[in-house]
Amino acid sequence: MEFKSVEDVQVRLEKAEYIPSLEIATVVFLAEATDKPILVEGPAGVGKTELAKAVARSLKRELIRLQCYEGLDESKALYEWEYAKQLLYTQMVKEKLNDIISDSHTLREAVDQIAAQEDAFFSERFIQPRPLLQAISSEKPVVLLIDEVDKSDPEFEAFLLELLSDFQVSIPELGTRTALNIPFVVLTSNNYRDMSDALKRRCVHIYIDYPERDLEIRIIKLKIPGIDTRLAGKIVDTIRNIRDLELKKRPCISETLDWAHSLIALQVDDISPDLVASTLNMICKYRIDAQRVKEQIESIVS
Amino acid sequence: MVNLVQKFVSCCRAAGARISTSEVLDCITQLEMIDLLEEPQFRATLRSNFAKSRREQKKFDDLYALFFHELHQDARMFQADSSSSYSKEILEMLNSVEDQGQINQAIADFLSGDPLAFLNELDRIQSEGEALPQGFVRFNLGPLAGRLEIMIQLNAVRDMIMQYLHDNRGRILWEARRALRTHFEKRLDSAFRMLIRDSRPYSEDVLQVKSYEQHLNQLGQKPFANLTPKEVEEMREVIDQLVRKLKDIVSRRYASRERGVLDVKRTLHRAARYHGVPLEIQFRSRTRRKGKVVTLCDVSSSVWSAARFMLNMLYSLQECFTQVRSFIFVAGLAEVTETFERNEINQAIEKVLKETDIHYNASTDYGETFRHFKRAYLDVLNKKTTLIIIGDGRSNYFNPEEEILEEMREKCRRLIWLNPEPEQVWYTGDSEMRTYEAYCHEIRPCRNLNQLVDFIEDLVL
Repeated sequence: MEFKSVEDVQVRLEKAEYIPSLEIATVVFLAEATDKPILVEGPAGVGKTELAKAVARSLKRELIRLQCYEGLDESKALYEWEYAKQLLYTQMVKEKLNDIISDSHTLREAVDQIAAQEDAFFSERFIQPRPLLQAISSEKPVVLLIDEVDKSDPEFEAFLLELLSDFQVSIPELGTRTALNIPFVVLTSNNYRDMSDALKRRCVHIYIDYPERDLEIRIIKLKIPGIDTRLAGKIVDTIRNIRDLELKKRPCISETLDWAHSLIALQVDDISPDLVASTLNMICKYRIDAQRVKEQIESIVS
Repeated sequence: MVNLVQKFVSCCRAAGARISTSEVLDCITQLEMIDLLEEPQFRATLRSNFAKSRREQKKFDDLYALFFHELHQDARMFQADSSSSYSKEILEMLNSVEDQGQINQAIADFLSGDPLAFLNELDRIQSEGEALPQGFVRFNLGPLAGRLEIMIQLNAVRDMIMQYLHDNRGRILWEARRALRTHFEKRLDSAFRMLIRDSRPYSEDVLQVKSYEQHLNQLGQKPFANLTPKEVEEMREVIDQLVRKLKDIVSRRYASRERGVLDVKRTLHRAARYHGVPLEIQFRSRTRRKGKVVTLCDVSSSVWSAARFMLNMLYSLQECFTQVRSFIFVAGLAEVTETFERNEINQAIEKVLKETDIHYNASTDYGETFRHFKRAYLDVLNKKTTLIIIGDGRSNYFNPEEEILEEMREKCRRLIWLNPEPEQVWYTGDSEMRTYEAYCHEIRPCRNLNQLVDFIEDLVL
């Protein structure tokens, strides 16, 4: 157990520049203590990926990231044989191969002798580890981030199950590999589709929502030290009003931060409708959203 | 502690949540590690183990509040009080009522702090609609009657308690009497709230695509219902173009797909050019994964004006994708995949509208449609299927059967609802959109060509 208590998680994550809610801290603590993966859900941009990064920073572990997409398979996620290297080596040691089979009289003997050398070609040397194998075979414990797991195919999800329950994988030519250190696994999902019950059962679940007002202000003050508290409050209020509108894409925390940064750059200390209108492209990523905000700009700023 | 958690889990299960034994074990192990005196931690631990999706969280929150706050806190307060013996007496009195039914027993248990049986009852009346015989005129009265019965029982119990307090006013001090009264009223009220509460899950995570009109094409903005026959023809051409474009996109995607495994045969073949030295390594290209699409299309009178167009759309979908199963429904459903495959578009639509075994004059019943689907076709859904439901969600106040929709959601990869009505009227009258929306991955309006084009592009890209 790396973390001593839930409070300890809070303190250390804050040091790693991530302010967790109590619920997040509890879940991180429990997942770490019981070696269970965390399944993080929530709208885009609330810091799902950032959570994994912050945990890695606070535990001083390496972060290994696997980005999921449709069509992702084992050769991209687990390992792949380096065919080119294998062939190149075969060419280079051709002479040696001839030596080996030089004293054989029949073809069968020759094949047997070559077969005895098979290990040389299917060995660690020619394997190219992908994120999952890297995470398992790492000497030091790592944080493994499996990002947007909902984008992957059901087949891949089934394969993940095996990995997440036993933390071991089998490579036919080499045998079973068991994790030297159990990695801290974070799976994120945008709810594009539902994950299977079996996968959910193995994970500790957390839903991260847009942060509460006070929390968001704290986040701004953490990321932009020296910002005026009153301004930060106004920024958050404005953003929260915009979030209440029916938009194609609601502004998330990173947009709040971007906007705050640009306001600092503009050296303003108060928010007016004109100011919002002129800096709107930091907040809204669709023209149509920007229009909608402009229509109601008076009520948003007050 | 184990007992308490176990009791809570039983309640959750009675209310329809699925919690496995391994999750209970995990939770209990984890509870040993946290500070139990800190309620937020306790709650977070239970929640992260028992409610593993956004949709389940609302139900969990309600149950948690009921179990740990409404029922247990005042129970503890009461134990210390001298009136506890009286409250026991009242409960005994309730239990001793002659010929008491299941419901009465459940209420008595609820009052004594054990909500299990009561939750079971509530869950039972929710799913009651299925018991009615086929072909019978259906009303949404099953659940309603069930609720009414419980309501009557609750009131009867309330009267009995008041009567008891009145009869014993000489024996019990007025302060104790008042405490008893508030205690039981509070519990009865919370039972009442649960009964009439709308147990709709959080639905913020549903992707709601709004109708933003970005295209300036005039034809594209006209609602399907207002099209003249000539315009329908024009529209048909636009769709044809779209389908061709999509096919291009699909094949391009195929070409740029990631490479597959080593192709030994071709590599060796190529090596022949270089004196048998395999300089160029060939990879097998991966075959394109074929997504399946299942569509359910409402063709009832309420969407009659758009129905023809919807069928048009079904037809084009079926042309665009290789594996499509198409169904139409009013109250009950019929498969039209073959009709579409065999006939040219206009003929097919005529055929569907005239010859299919469906009562076009019946009133739309989404619940019955879902039941029918569950009975006959549930196995067409699997984790590669995208289920598209086209309809206005106006179910004439019949039982909406959202549980079946949820079951369908669990079976398929993605559930998308297309609504041909303008968004302003989505949630009015007998529309069940609010109920259904929580169970969809995505809902979007589909009234005109622009929206249709957007949707098909999103589906493919």
